[in-house]
Amino acid sequence: MRGARRTAVIVAFLAALAIGAVPSVAVAASVTEQVISRLNRQLLYLAVPIAVLVEAILAYTVWRFRDNDEPEPTKENRQLEITWTIATALVLLFVGTASFYVLAQPTVSTVLDDPQRNAEPGNAPEDAVEAHIVTEQWNYTFEYPEENVTTSESLVLPENRTAYLYITSEDVIHSVHVPELGLKQDALPGQYNLLRTEPTEKGEYRLYCAELCGRGHPEMLSTVQVVSEDEYERWLENPESALNESEANESSANGSATDGGP
Amino acid sequence: MLDTIPGVALAAIGLAVLAAYYRLRSDRPAMSFADGGTASVTVGLTGTEKPAGILRWFTTVDHKDIGLLYILFGTAAALWGATDAMMIRTELLVPESAVWNVETYNAVFTTHGFTMLFFFVTPVFTGIANYVLPLLLGADDLAFPRINAIAFWLLPPSLVMVRGGLITDVIGMVVGVLPVDVTLFEALEPVAMGWTMYTPLSVEMANPQISVALLGLHLSGVATTMAAINFIVTVFTERPPELGWDKLDIFSWNILVTSALILLAFPLLGSTLIMLLLDRNFGTTFFAIEGGGPMLWQHLFWFFGHPEVYILVLPAFGLVSLILPKFCGRRLFGFRFIVYSTIAIGILSFGVWAHHMFATGMDPRLRASFMAVSLAIAIPSAIKEFNWIATMWNGRLRLDAPLICIIGAMSTFVVGGITGVFLASVPVDLVLHDTHYVVGHFHLIVVGVIPLAMIAASYYWFPLITGRMYNQRLARAQTVLLIIGTFVTFIPLLILGYMGMPRRYGIYPTEFITLNQIASLGAFLLGVSVFLWLVNMIQSARVGPVVRDADVWNLKETGQFTREWQWFEDRLEERRGKVEPEGDPGSESETTRAVDPDDDAES
Ligand code: HEM
Ligand SMILES: [Cu+2]
Ligand SMILES: [Cu+2]
Repeated sequence: MRGARRTAVIVAFLAALAIGAVPSVAVAASVTEQVISRLNRQLLYLAVPIAVLVEAILAYTVWRFRDNDEPEPTKENRQLEITWTIATALVLLFVGTASFYVLAQPTVSTVLDDPQRNAEPGNAPEDAVEAHIVTEQWNYTFEYPEENVTTSESLVLPENRTAYLYITSEDVIHSVHVPELGLKQDALPGQYNLLRTEPTEKGEYRLYCAELCGRGHPEMLSTVQVVSEDEYERWLENPESALNESEANESSANGSATDGGP
Repeated sequence: MLDTIPGVALAAIGLAVLAAYYRLRSDRPAMSFADGGTASVTVGLTGTEKPAGILRWFTTVDHKDIGLLYILFGTAAALWGATDAMMIRTELLVPESAVWNVETYNAVFTTHGFTMLFFFVTPVFTGIANYVLPLLLGADDLAFPRINAIAFWLLPPSLVMVRGGLITDVIGMVVGVLPVDVTLFEALEPVAMGWTMYTPLSVEMANPQISVALLGLHLSGVATTMAAINFIVTVFTERPPELGWDKLDIFSWNILVTSALILLAFPLLGSTLIMLLLDRNFGTTFFAIEGGGPMLWQHLFWFFGHPEVYILVLPAFGLVSLILPKFCGRRLFGFRFIVYSTIAIGILSFGVWAHHMFATGMDPRLRASFMAVSLAIAIPSAIKEFNWIATMWNGRLRLDAPLICIIGAMSTFVVGGITGVFLASVPVDLVLHDTHYVVGHFHLIVVGVIPLAMIAASYYWFPLITGRMYNQRLARAQTVLLIIGTFVTFIPLLILGYMGMPRRYGIYPTEFITLNQIASLGAFLLGVSVFLWLVNMIQSARVGPVVRDADVWNLKETGQFTREWQWFEDRLEERRGKVEPEGDPGSESETTRAVDPDDDAES
């Protein structure tokens, strides 16, 4: 019994330590990232202690009953079975509910048949930025149809404004993966997929292709630049010009193309 | 083409091992037992004597022989796939593509995936089941011995077809020295479309070898399905009357459910592969945008693909459930619940396929329902883990190599399973999908659970198969190294995934370097561990101490001396009757008990 208590203390300590290791709240770079990483943290608070607990029970069992002199025959215990089944189900029910609430948010999901027909390009609301991301082997082209701007340099978005990104592919499947903004959406040929978000932090974020698309796949990289509203307006006037030094680093300094891809 | 050498060298080693094994076994006259150590040669259902020498192995229809062939073939494939893994991890030591170019990297992870999934895991489990299932049931053989042989012999050609690009490369290189036309060989490059073969990429890639590989995969699917049907019929019809469903052992239950999944999933894969072949070569439009569209491929592929992952892992669960109680000195806790959970997993596994497609822009209401089923399938998996721990609780644990393997499998399964729950949560998956997090998650199972269960089985039944004992100290060290290696290799991948590093990247941004190097270090530990296992198996099969007492694991004491060991005991008796009196008493005392002397001293 003493052993059990000591183990309990150790487990509690380990669990506390593990929770401490869970990444602390960072500044969210977009509303999407904010809700997803909050959900992820909630799940980690649950999962890490459970993992530590089960591993600890496993280790304790091995240590305690190793070469045990008084083994007991196995006795079935229905109640125990039912208890842990229900306990697991409850934990997963929580995971499901918490995930569902995040999933249902417009910055995370798009309902294809919504009445505003937002899922189709050209239907972004007035106050939002509409940009099209066209992928092909192996580069990205960013089009701002309302502004008549096309560039393959980087996706420029104003801070604190909703962005409607319509994503498609000219050839094979590619993907738009911006981990720091919490964005991921496959680009499929023959259809547009909508990604909605609102960047909340100025900066430059890496954009990766995350669907195997052939030889150039690991080099199919680009950037997302989140700039202030003023900066954005200025950039739209003259997309050839480099962005403000503090916001864009050397990678975008060598000018931008103005027409859609090669 | 330097990059192809390691694979070929390994294949050659694999073949050499195979050949050495044949020789070893066929060198001896089949029925003499000079030191009592050869596997017994029994007469199969056919009722005829087997031809001697290598011919026996090509003509055999005995389930035990075929089981061994499967295990040897699967092991050779595993070594080849592991060479690919080492090539992957070597390339990822540095961010730029310094060792192999991107195309080769893409080819290597593709063939790694194919080889491991289709030619390592399922063949090895089929081999183990071939060997022990009839013994566990008390049947003479499988229901269809000849189909069993055909199913096995379809595998080597399909492996050659799937991995052909590499082989033809080498042939091209060798023949290229001569003044002949080698363009045909050169046109066939290793396939590089990923094991998921997503269209339109897999349709548009010109490499004709892709079509050959698709045929090879189709053939391997036919072989797998034939073996599955054989198991199902055997379990249903070959049980002795006294063995009711309530008395069927847990491993046979798992093989039965696995075979049912194969029967339902593999024919779909076969059809889907043919559709892809037609799209590639005959201008059909099954997956073209103007036809079924690229999403059709993903739905069909994953409708096969998700059950496939349970086809891989259920036999491992079965082995854990079967072997664990033997080293706890008590029966399996919650036998019924484990059987129910296996069946539940089997059924639910057909309802979760779209959780691989959360990022494709599927309707969120559909995503939510797939999330719900994916979370539900975690329940039966957790039940298994809890039942295993409860089996150990209050038992008498003997930390022999098989038990260490199983404890290791249980500990990696906790992390592998819980990381899976994160991927089932749609919003979290959106961030982690197609990153190294996914690679880390599934390798904690495909390296942490599956090979550990196989190695546990290899140690547990080694005496029964070879009549000899392996080096137990080496076995324990090897097992511990494998467990450590698994965590060191794949936990960093989870973190890399959180940092955003996409999978299938032969070149990566420099900030990911440290974690990648740790992972590569872990992979090399894994390599060392596998090598130690191989050495132990080969050396012990040749010169390990001979087993004289069939109760190697002291199972009689706890009433767990199951049918296959009883069969082994009968075999030993029979043999002793024939070649008495022989053997020196010295080795007797050394090998009758499978417990190391130093272990006894400790307790
Ligand atoms: C020897 C230890 C192993 C190591 C170090 C290892 C390493 C890796 C790595 C790093 C990748 C990701 C490559 C990339 O995305 O860039 C990978 C992919 C993969 N591995 Fe392994 N692996 C091992 C064993 C296994 C086993 C035993 C299996 C299956 C039973 C397996 C199945 C797969 C599959 C299916 C993929 C995905 C391939 C694809 O993306 O098309 N691996 N492996
Ligand atoms: Cu791409
Ligand atoms: Cu790509």
